[in-house]
Amino acid sequence: MATTPRSEARAGLKLISPTAIYVILLLALPLATVLIYSVMTGGRGNVSLPLTFDNYAELWSKPVYGYILLKSLLVALTVTFITVVLAYPVAYFVSFHVKPDRKSLWLFLITIPFWTSYIIRVSLWFVILGYDGLLDKTLMSLGIMDSQLNFSSYGIPAIIFVLAHAYAPFAVLPIFVSLEKVDRSLLEAGQDLGESRWVTFLRVTLPLSMPGVIAAALIVFIPTVGDYVTPKLVGDGREPMIANFIETALLKLRNYPQGSAFAVVSMLMVGIVSVVFVLLNRRFIGGSK
Amino acid sequence: MKAPWLRGFTFLYLLFLYSPILLLPIFAFNASKVVSFPLSGFTTDWFVEMWNDQNLRIAAKNSLIIALSVATLSTILGIFAARASVRYRFPGKAPIMGLIMLPLVLPEMIVAMSLLVVLLSIGVNLSLLTVIMGQVLICTPFAVAILTSAFQSLDRSLEEAAMDLGETQWSTFRLIILPLVMPGILASFLICFTISFDEFIIANFLGSGQPILSVYIFGQFRFPAKVPSMLALGTVLVCFSIILLGFAEYMRRRGIAKAGGKDTGGFL
Amino acid sequence: MTFSDDRPTMIEFKDVHKYYGDYHALRGINGTIKAGEFFSLLGPSGCGKTTLLRTIAGFEDISSGVIMIDGKDMAGVAANVRPTNMVFQSYAIFPHMSVAENVGFGLRKDPRSKEEKAKAVAEALEMVGLKGYGNRAAHALSGGQRQRVALARALILKPKVLLLDEPLSALDKKMREHMQVELIKLQRQVGITFILVTHDQEEALVMSDRIAVMFEGEIAQLADPETLYRRPNSKKVADFIGTMNFIPTTVLSESNGSVEIEAKGLGRATLDASMAPPAKGESPVVGLRPETLTLLYDDQKATERETDGVIDEVIYFGDMTYYDVYLGGTDVEVRLSMRNVPGRPVLEVGDKVRVAWSPSALVLFR
Repeated sequence: MATTPRSEARAGLKLISPTAIYVILLLALPLATVLIYSVMTGGRGNVSLPLTFDNYAELWSKPVYGYILLKSLLVALTVTFITVVLAYPVAYFVSFHVKPDRKSLWLFLITIPFWTSYIIRVSLWFVILGYDGLLDKTLMSLGIMDSQLNFSSYGIPAIIFVLAHAYAPFAVLPIFVSLEKVDRSLLEAGQDLGESRWVTFLRVTLPLSMPGVIAAALIVFIPTVGDYVTPKLVGDGREPMIANFIETALLKLRNYPQGSAFAVVSMLMVGIVSVVFVLLNRRFIGGSK
Repeated sequence: MKAPWLRGFTFLYLLFLYSPILLLPIFAFNASKVVSFPLSGFTTDWFVEMWNDQNLRIAAKNSLIIALSVATLSTILGIFAARASVRYRFPGKAPIMGLIMLPLVLPEMIVAMSLLVVLLSIGVNLSLLTVIMGQVLICTPFAVAILTSAFQSLDRSLEEAAMDLGETQWSTFRLIILPLVMPGILASFLICFTISFDEFIIANFLGSGQPILSVYIFGQFRFPAKVPSMLALGTVLVCFSIILLGFAEYMRRRGIAKAGGKDTGGFL
Repeated sequence: MTFSDDRPTMIEFKDVHKYYGDYHALRGINGTIKAGEFFSLLGPSGCGKTTLLRTIAGFEDISSGVIMIDGKDMAGVAANVRPTNMVFQSYAIFPHMSVAENVGFGLRKDPRSKEEKAKAVAEALEMVGLKGYGNRAAHALSGGQRQRVALARALILKPKVLLLDEPLSALDKKMREHMQVELIKLQRQVGITFILVTHDQEEALVMSDRIAVMFEGEIAQLADPETLYRRPNSKKVADFIGTMNFIPTTVLSESNGSVEIEAKGLGRATLDASMAPPAKGESPVVGLRPETLTLLYDDQKATERETDGVIDEVIYFGDMTYYDVYLGGTDVEVRLSMRNVPGRPVLEVGDKVRVAWSPSALVLFR
């Protein structure tokens, strides 16, 4: 058994090399390509020299790009906020009010929808909320409405609603895990020191579960901001988000440099927001020490 | 400790989570082509229609091929990475692991598009194989996460004990490590399978129009006439995933019981 | 209690060094371990005792030096072919196997028949007091039972050396004391070399033929328990093993065979050279164990020397009482222990007492 640092390093590198080579070839290289394309001059379906920052300048000068980015960001943040706020009481209930041997069952119940086809769940909302869909037909046949409500066509609100449903179960698990870690004797100590249950929650439980809340926010935010299917199906596709726009730029307009520049900026935006979340979390942990 | 408000809220939340899924079996067996209340009678026609749909069969077969390949490949790549990261110290570990886990924090569209751009520019023809290549990138981080915790819960001295009792590195891996991380391997396989089976973006853009189940479903829902048979398909798929999940949970518990540990929570 | 030196050597260390990067974990280990000996590596955590054990097992390479087992240089010999077996601190019982499968694990490549192997497993289980436990699931065992399984699993291979890495640290006090006795008996029964790593000095004293006390990667003293206790070769060893009082001292003169000293509060005394280990350049102190001091009754006379004192603290232990006493009107305080015998009342703080002591119990450190 090898224990010297050098032979250990060699064994470790050898072991990880298949996975490492795979991601370097299929992930790192393509991402680097996109980065390089984004500073090249381009036309339809080709790229050429010279290197230029024009693509980024165009992103800055044309309001449509900023609008898409800002809209995606706001939609994702709203969805994140809604899912986390809705998930917290549920996670709290399972962690504090469910008997330990029943907790797995509850978590199982909450996670099942997450593991059923995402496409089917989103498409179902299309069937329910769409023009002349289940909601419209039912409301009309019951005589509550006399014309189609067509909630799906409300664009952004409909997108937010469907996304909030699709990613809801994501948020419960990390919050639950952080609540489970809260030392129950701390709560007793809080009440022992004369705090009411609600104040104990605000001063002890909530700060201690913040890491889980931030983790939940990240887990919801990243896939929502890059969601492709929901904006395409719901809202009649009139409210494209980042992913839809990348498709348009790269595949329909086939302007590789422009699309690449947009992809890079999107990545940066997602990265910055994620880093802000992580820093918030760090400050929270530091502050509560 | 009673909490009627919390309990009530949790039930509403579950109802909200399940509401569209509950509609699946209701309208899959409803005798009307139009999805609306009140219901018009019981039928199994939509299941028959689904069964006879040749394109659907091809799509399902393709999806199975993809999901099985992706689950196998991701789990194998995950075993390499998780074992290396838990067991060894080596230079460049943090950036390598960071790169492997990167797809978790990247919008999937960017992973798909950057790969697509490269594949197109070097002239690779899109096929099921390119879908598999892309989905393995997405699934490997999940496999690594699951397997890392499986390898971490393994006491290092078990390995040393086996070597001490005369086994080689390879036979130690086969006799001790593999059986003990088997529940993790199975969980990783099942989760990668499910993720791949559901995955849409890569299947759509790297598949060059090959019929793949998720892409096929997405397309069919646009035609109102096709909706009922899609609901039938959805019903089948939901049952399928519940069985698969139940099996995974069973394996997980058995793994814990086998290792003599305590059940400390649920999935993931 | 000295271990016979005429036994053959089982393990020999020659200037063994081990580095982890910049960290110097073993700093020139020398010494021999005899065949059939119960040998302990004793020291505080981080002193290198476990590292040394693992270099014997072959789990750690050494950076320089030589380790010989039974006359063979172990350089480049892998753990799985060394004539040693180990009982791990966590016991490392394979959780997915039965007790019998665990015990028989090392027999996989043994050419004997299945029946013979099963018989060997049963015998090994009987030897450690687990007769009939073969079919139990390993994870259902208690801590003490796990340890016995680990012992049986290692001993079934009839190693030349059995290595035990803090095997008793996970057990509660009662169980630990019980297992100490069982381990001693087992070692006598099988007659092979046992090497025990422990941080518990009492455990080492009880169980070992010889002990190597280690500090910071070096062997500070290698001796039998009595020598270690009575004639520690440094203040550090004296302090680590048991309780010792240290009294500031002046060395008056030194002639061949004896040292003349004056200890504060005790007065002058002449020490045998064997009680004055080589000087280390520290300010001189004499050490004396609490049980070598006695409180005298009013009518009792000291057999050797006596000193006046005042009781500063009384610590009652049931069978014993510890007294902290100021000696001879000075600020030198010593701790002494007295058995609580019937008819002898426990004294109180402030009582004036006479303390008997013996120059032959003093050890000089300088």
